Amino acid sequence: MAHSKIKLPASATIILLFGFVLLSLQLMSSATQESSELGEMYSWLLVINTLGSVILLGLVAFNAYSLVRELKKKEAGSRLTTRMVSLFVLLALAPAAIVFYFSVQFLHQGIDSWFNVEIDRAMDDALELSQSSLNQRMNWHIKQTKQMADQLRDKSEALIAMEVGSLWADSGALEIAVFSNQGRVLASSSVNPSDILPHLPDEQIWLLLRQNKEYFAFDPGDNDEMLVRIIVAIEADQSRFLQVLFPIPVRVTDLADSIEFAFIRYQEMNFLRDSLKTSFSLILLLVLLLSLLAAIWVAFISIRNIVAPVKELVKGTQAVADGDYQQQLPVMNQDDLGFLVESFNQMTRRIARSRDETRAAGLEVENQRAYLETILANLTAGVISFDAAFYIRTANQAAYRILHIPVSHFVGETLPTLATMHKELADVLNAIQSLLEKADDIWEQRIVFLGPNGRQELLCRGTPLFSQHGARTGAVVVFDDVTDLIQAQKNAAWGEVARRLAHEIKNPLTPIQLSAERLQHKLSKELQDGSAEFLQRGTRTIVQQVEAMKRMVDDFSEYARPSKKQVEKINLVDLIQEVMALYLPSGIIFSTAFASDRVLVEADPVSLRQVLHNLIKNAQEATTAPCRIEIKIAKVSRNNTDYVELGIYDNGNGLNAEQLETIFDPYVTSKAKGTGLGLAIVKKIVEEHGGVIWVDTSYNGGAGFLLQLPVFEFGNNK
Amino acid sequence: MLCLQIAPGMAEAGDYAARIEYAELNHIDHGYDVQAHIDYRLSPTAKEALHKGVPLTWDVTIELRQPGMLWDTIIHNRKLTYSLQFHALLNQYVVQTPFDRSEMFLTLSAAMNFMAAVHDNTPIPAELVAAGKPYLLAVKTQFNRELLPIPLRPVAYLDNRWFLSSAWYTWPIQK
Repeated sequence: MAHSKIKLPASATIILLFGFVLLSLQLMSSATQESSELGEMYSWLLVINTLGSVILLGLVAFNAYSLVRELKKKEAGSRLTTRMVSLFVLLALAPAAIVFYFSVQFLHQGIDSWFNVEIDRAMDDALELSQSSLNQRMNWHIKQTKQMADQLRDKSEALIAMEVGSLWADSGALEIAVFSNQGRVLASSSVNPSDILPHLPDEQIWLLLRQNKEYFAFDPGDNDEMLVRIIVAIEADQSRFLQVLFPIPVRVTDLADSIEFAFIRYQEMNFLRDSLKTSFSLILLLVLLLSLLAAIWVAFISIRNIVAPVKELVKGTQAVADGDYQQQLPVMNQDDLGFLVESFNQMTRRIARSRDETRAAGLEVENQRAYLETILANLTAGVISFDAAFYIRTANQAAYRILHIPVSHFVGETLPTLATMHKELADVLNAIQSLLEKADDIWEQRIVFLGPNGRQELLCRGTPLFSQHGARTGAVVVFDDVTDLIQAQKNAAWGEVARRLAHEIKNPLTPIQLSAERLQHKLSKELQDGSAEFLQRGTRTIVQQVEAMKRMVDDFSEYARPSKKQVEKINLVDLIQEVMALYLPSGIIFSTAFASDRVLVEADPVSLRQVLHNLIKNAQEATTAPCRIEIKIAKVSRNNTDYVELGIYDNGNGLNAEQLETIFDPYVTSKAKGTGLGLAIVKKIVEEHGGVIWVDTSYNGGAGFLLQLPVFEFGNNK
Repeated sequence: MLCLQIAPGMAEAGDYAARIEYAELNHIDHGYDVQAHIDYRLSPTAKEALHKGVPLTWDVTIELRQPGMLWDTIIHNRKLTYSLQFHALLNQYVVQTPFDRSEMFLTLSAAMNFMAAVHDNTPIPAELVAAGKPYLLAVKTQFNRELLPIPLRPVAYLDNRWFLSSAWYTWPIQK
């Protein structure tokens, strides 16, 4: 049930109210009739109806105030209620006001039409006629009384007593009495023998009598009859008075009363004309007010009841808009609005179910996405996805590891933009961009570039993505750093070459050498000096070259042979300083920058010493001027592992781009006597110790090598 | 005669309110007789209404009260109704007394004078009044608007020209 402002059983209240209003108005209407017994209650009914109007006005005002407050708060349904109430009030008020206006007009005109000059005059004339008739009768009786007084003048009281009776009989009077000026009755005669005492004048009559010496007036007699009382002085000295009571004929009295009643009634109505108009107008106004106010109040209640479901719907809709799909509204009536509410409830149930399903699906997608992201993140291959305009959408952790730039931070950027910010990767990025733009199918390409860790070789595979309708929606590039793989392949190949050389070349060398020596031994005595010397030179040359070839083959064997490391914990700083001490006599100027004095690594000291020897010797041989070598040790972290980074920089001629690509390959040397295996062996040893080595291309003062080895313990900074 | 106090004063607010000029409580054979004099005044509107045939009625209320702490106890109560009407045919004024008697007067002042002299012929029983106790004699005259014609009644309650009643006037009486 909706809550209305007036919490009463609406139907019962409305019926009671209208019943009370109608009863009260009917009673008041009846009370206005003069003949009605309700006339005595008129004032009370007026007060009750006025009070009723005031109470209804209060109720309407309270409802209107509540509505205004709801409007200010912008509560649901308040505007609809206002519109409906306003419309109702307008529709009710306009005809009611018109009816009221014309009713009052007709009422006033009707009352005015009761009175006019002719009736006024007729009433006055009728009254005057009655008065003339009565006065004429009185004058005749006065004359008659005076004649009787003349007959009694100067007579004794005894004689008067005797004549009063005959005078009464002749005159037709009701009563004749003679009394002294002291009020003493001297004689009397009456039509009613039971009247012992005559109707003597009262004090007022005595007063007038003494002033005027005579008195005549109409007196109300017994039994509603009218009398004429005439008193005249018998003697001139007013010692005795004669009072005669004459009857007025009943017919005359009735006619006079009738005329007087009509006259008085007319006069009264004429006097009350304005009051009558006011009174009727007041009643009409009360009727209008009571009816209108009751109707407006009932309209408030009814409209609130009608709007209640709409209000609930608005609230429900707002709740749904705010995301509350559990909203269920009460169905109050099985009407159209009830059907609407039921439909709303059904809709919210469906939306809630759809939302739950969508949420579950979204969760599943999210899980899948997270799963894929986890897989992508843990892939060793870098993966970068692009949209249709080749803007980066996603990039995994491996992309960062391979390219050494946080690609995932550049989502929404293009590869050329990335290239402008990281110029060292400009070649590879622009190459990938070019391949992306050109490719309509899956492509694969090896791209070599010089990264911060030296030369890198990427194996890139690109796949353009298409929608179901064939439109390009983006692309995915998967790339892997195959530098180590390629190097391993090369190393394996070179190892095989070395092994074959050792087997195919070294084996014949010993017989060659022995044969040459045997030739020298046997023929040197037999030949002449010149020939013997020639032979000796030839055999020596053969032996020397064979020895050289043996050394070369031994070096290859050494390179190809798996190392037999004896790993122990050594302090790299101490090792470096030992090696440096060996080269100090040669004039090399060392400068060091060690982050710590204690850098323990697990390594084979002999191998590491060889690494250092090779690198320092390499620097020494590459430098013509006084050789300056700077050695740096720093701690770096990579993939949650601590490494010691050893940098060796010389002041030599440096390396050109071509050298950079093959510097660590076997048989690559710029020196006349070098075998080209020095740096290859260095790289091999470093990699066997789980480290990496590359040329520091950012160094321009000569050649710089950076190698990283897993560190066991890195002491506190100096 | 018992103690009596005359205290003329104004009645209810209005220029035409009646005034109680005096009241008396006289000891007679079997009780006490109340006599009072009321000065009735008629506004021009009331006079016009009277001459147009509207009867005017006053209720004279006489009470004998015994004072109390919170309120007075009414031990005797009498209401005398006087009605004044104009007889157009005879050009006289008729006063209907409380004792079912009509008195006709040639002038309005004569009729008013007659009404002014209140004399209750029903005495207050002697046994109601105890010796040595204080009493209050209260008199007022109330113009009865409810006996006016219906259209005139609402106006009579609002227009001070129809405020013809007096207020209560009380006199302390010690037996």
